[in-house]
Amino acid sequence: MRIILTMRPRKNPFIPVEAEGIVPSILMNGAEITVWEGNRERRLDEVFEVAVEGEAATVEEVEVVLRGDTSRLKRIGEYMDGGRITVEGDIGMHCGNFMKAGTIEVMGNAAGWFARELCGGTVVCRGDAGHYCASGYRGEKKGMTGGRVEVFGNTGDFAAEHLAGGEVVIHGNCGDMPGVEMHGGTLSIGGDCTRPCGNMTGGTCTVLGCAYGMIPTFQAKGETNGPDGKNISAFTGDIANRGKGSLLVRRYQYLK
Amino acid sequence: MSDLLIKNAFVIDPINRINGEIMDIAVRDGRIVEDVGQGAEVIDAAGCLTLPGGIDSHTHICGTKVNFGRYMSPEDMRAGREARRGVKHSISGYSVPTTYANSYRYAIMGYTTLLEGAMAPLEARHTHEEFSATPLQDVMANTLFDGNWGVMEAIRDGDLERAAAIVGWTLSAVKGFGIKLTNPGGTEAWGYGKDVTCIRDKVPYFEVTPAEIIETMIRSCELLRLPHSVHLHCNNLGKPGNYACTIETLNLVPDLNEKRQTLYATHVQFHSYGGSDWKTFCSKAEPVADTVNNRPQIVIDMGQVMFGKTTTMTADGPMEFNLYRLHHDKWSNHDVELETGSGIIPVLYRRKNLVNSIMWAIGLELALLVKNPWQCMLTTDNPNGAPFVKYPEIIALLMSKKYRDAEFATVHPDTGSKVVLPALERELDWNEIAVMTRAGQAKALGITGIGKGHLGIGAEADIAVYPLKVDDIDPSTEYQRVIDGFAQTKWTVKRGRPVSRDGEILVHGENTTIWVDPKIRPERDISRNPRFVEMFNHWYSVRMSNYPVQDEYLKRNLRMETEAAI
Repeated sequence: MRIILTMRPRKNPFIPVEAEGIVPSILMNGAEITVWEGNRERRLDEVFEVAVEGEAATVEEVEVVLRGDTSRLKRIGEYMDGGRITVEGDIGMHCGNFMKAGTIEVMGNAAGWFARELCGGTVVCRGDAGHYCASGYRGEKKGMTGGRVEVFGNTGDFAAEHLAGGEVVIHGNCGDMPGVEMHGGTLSIGGDCTRPCGNMTGGTCTVLGCAYGMIPTFQAKGETNGPDGKNISAFTGDIANRGKGSLLVRRYQYLK
Repeated sequence: MSDLLIKNAFVIDPINRINGEIMDIAVRDGRIVEDVGQGAEVIDAAGCLTLPGGIDSHTHICGTKVNFGRYMSPEDMRAGREARRGVKHSISGYSVPTTYANSYRYAIMGYTTLLEGAMAPLEARHTHEEFSATPLQDVMANTLFDGNWGVMEAIRDGDLERAAAIVGWTLSAVKGFGIKLTNPGGTEAWGYGKDVTCIRDKVPYFEVTPAEIIETMIRSCELLRLPHSVHLHCNNLGKPGNYACTIETLNLVPDLNEKRQTLYATHVQFHSYGGSDWKTFCSKAEPVADTVNNRPQIVIDMGQVMFGKTTTMTADGPMEFNLYRLHHDKWSNHDVELETGSGIIPVLYRRKNLVNSIMWAIGLELALLVKNPWQCMLTTDNPNGAPFVKYPEIIALLMSKKYRDAEFATVHPDTGSKVVLPALERELDWNEIAVMTRAGQAKALGITGIGKGHLGIGAEADIAVYPLKVDDIDPSTEYQRVIDGFAQTKWTVKRGRPVSRDGEILVHGENTTIWVDPKIRPERDISRNPRFVEMFNHWYSVRMSNYPVQDEYLKRNLRMETEAAI
């Protein structure tokens, strides 16, 4: 079953649309769902052209395709528990919050809080992701606990903050403080970042580029083999908080 | 004219010695009257338990400390979210909810009067601002004097009248209600990098002891003729073995007032610990309760701990620092210049944790071992022991041995050897619960005279009608019905106006702030005392003229003037 949702042209395309109902298991039942456009509640077909092809017996056979200008579309795939969502363009904030199973693939860029507090499933972004990608939420001690997040472009600040489980792979550069407060799981950064893993207590973070503003409370453990076979510097920390995480960086530079 | 008639109510009103009479309650213009005419609005309370509006004599709902709890715990706001509806504002939060959430939840449970347990005088404006956003309850604020430099200097000089004059001036300046002492001297000592182990240690620089502070403040309270007694949070909160210090403190208290107690010892659960460390930690509720039983001049509140997430907040800064070292979670400490301090940390009380299980048992033990319910108030020190929404469960625990046993079976298996709770057979009755949740609290606060806590003619028409048919229910076995009944009133009436019905908020009300203004002879007016003014100007970061809370901060308010003896 393919459910194709094409965003209708809007008078003011900057007004955000909150669409926590766009989840395969909800849409496959044909339930009447509504979305909020700004402060107005709208039927799904007021905002999207809806086309349904085929049928599905289980949620695994459902694919939701989002087309058009979806860059202001928030909270899609929230609590998603199976199936597939494909976003052909950009996606707004909070895509894949709390997702448990299934796959979300974003062909364009993702805004902030991408795959926040993920528990399972796979979330892929072909472009760049915003701040707080694969992170926890304000005040909460546990962030992402399972699943896999892959970003092919760059991400903003605080990627994988409070990471507690699962796998985060960022092929490009990260902003400030990736993996801060991390206590489980693995984080791989293909490019550069600044101040990685402050206050980390567990888990593994690998930086294949340069860690600028390297945090001084990480204890150097010498060199080991990196995932690509080349040498990489290993650190343990954050010892300021009795942490036992491991941070592997190809190059690093302390603040002067 | 607004007339209201509550018909066929099953009334328990301990102050007027009514225990289970079916009667009608007539209300005119916010007061209870003999009779109203035909045109009155009628509430049919057929057989429903009807009590005076609930009073919480120790809660933390407004002020900088509570607000800082909100800053620190944004995750707390993910719970309890409700959208705006009708007269109701949108609300959220669990242990430190928004002011409106506090007010609505209290109203739904039948509470109509609240006392904010600790207001730093310097930060009083914030408390009053939040009071103005607490629409459905009358409010008052106890004012912190535990580390007040002026007071401590007066004590060092042995000048009782001067101490009383400072208290009196401060109370009327900041529109406070009573005297709160939180770890007297201890927080200030900690500010100097020291600590006090009990009431006989000297506070650095000031060279006064906690015992002297407590005694002087009790006597100042009586000199000022304040309606409420000193509200004391003893030294050494939360430390194993602190019960000895608690008993020593309680034994200090003279009997000075025939109308009410001389000391209100708060959250005594946190002060009834035996053992010498966390491994030998055990309950010492029995000796503490015995002391209370032998000293009618003392009233305590339970400070019951209930399992789950909450936020602890207190002016006892060193204690919060110790808790932080235990948990390594979020933590905040503040210093309020010349007056007091505070600390906040989030806590999770767990059944699997032995210490937490013992704490849970001690609160219940205190309530069951204190013979006179007028001497023990039902509180959780919201939100320190648990958020106040747990009150119905605590009521059921006190009324049902069976429920206690069922709960006891779920706590840490070693708890049995550390507490006496399983041996306590006492089950409180409806009347005792009414005393512990309203009548006793009103009497302890000294506000029965202004019509609080009872349903006599002329009383403020604060009434809670619970969907509990007392004759039908056996609380010792049907505890779930007790919990459900106390969790949501059928009607809550505030000042003669129904404010909630079956959990639905009906009006956007307006509260009354109750504050005390002791009338002191002009020559004892401390704000004209050169030495005091000099101290103020030298050390405070605000001008004395900017210090008092302006009247604009109080909307509807009730000024209780007292004839001070100085």
